[in-house]
Amino acid sequence: MKMRAAQKVHYDAGPNMTPLVDVVMVILIFLMLTGSFAVGEHFLQSNMPVTKKGAGQVNDKSVPDEPLEIRVDSFTRPGPDGVSVDMWAAQAGGFMIQNNTDQLVSQLTKMREALNKNNQPTDKIQVIINPGRQTKYRHLIDVYQAALRADFSKVSFSTAH
Amino acid sequence: MRGHKMPAAHATHPNVTPLIDIVMCLIIFYMLVAKIGVNMGQDAKIELPTSLLGITLKDMGNTVTLNIARPPTGDEPLVTMLDPSTGQMVDLKIIDGTKRPLAAFLKKLKGENIEFKVIIRGDQNLEYRYLEPVLITCSEAAVKNVNFAARVPQMVKTVSE
Repeated sequence: MKMRAAQKVHYDAGPNMTPLVDVVMVILIFLMLTGSFAVGEHFLQSNMPVTKKGAGQVNDKSVPDEPLEIRVDSFTRPGPDGVSVDMWAAQAGGFMIQNNTDQLVSQLTKMREALNKNNQPTDKIQVIINPGRQTKYRHLIDVYQAALRADFSKVSFSTAH
Repeated sequence: MRGHKMPAAHATHPNVTPLIDIVMCLIIFYMLVAKIGVNMGQDAKIELPTSLLGITLKDMGNTVTLNIARPPTGDEPLVTMLDPSTGQMVDLKIIDGTKRPLAAFLKKLKGENIEFKVIIRGDQNLEYRYLEPVLITCSEAAVKNVNFAARVPQMVKTVSE
């Protein structure tokens, strides 16, 4: 029986790419697993209020900004299922709002518009959030956000305790 | 002049050139974009509050991150940060006898860099009484730019600084 000789395959055989592909794939998988792109964080920028006395005092001749103080407190209240719920209360200019950010934004916007009408430009209004000692940080951030949403540009925390 | 032809693919040797091209592009992309092994001094145990608003800081090199935690006892918060000179995490007390190590540290950094900023990372349930001494210290060190780190809720776009 006559066996046919195996046909020789002719092609432009370059260097063996298999180890290169292996290594490159390992590097790619490593980078994909370990790399972090957006860390899921952003920042609320604050300016420290200028103090006339004490360690941070300044001797500038500029016109002081119009202060707008927001008092914030945290408290707990029993929820409908008996579990305590953390809440905040914000007080400014004769109003008090509890745990409702949209309402606080609306009220702060009204206050800003009233100040603007009295020739106080927004960049000359210094919002000072004055939290109680037990106020939780996330409640401060909620109020801080409300002030930013009301288009105030200068927001800071009081250090008056 | 004869141009290079793409080598013919055979059943036993598929052409891996396009694969390597794409994989190399991906590797270069990941190497440029991904942050691997970059320690900004963030304490991963801290659960940040969420905020819809916020900015991304572009010049993170000018910042120092202060991680603020509730102490086991007492009123002084635990403040940890990355020492830029040593690359090690350090605990700095606000008041140590007659000295104020945190204020001195911030003053030194502020003196070296006029664009110096502070990032504050606090747990969402941290009370303000632990945050306030750190803000007072920042004020003492004449650090005007203080940024509060917050988590980005999903599907929220942040604004660049």
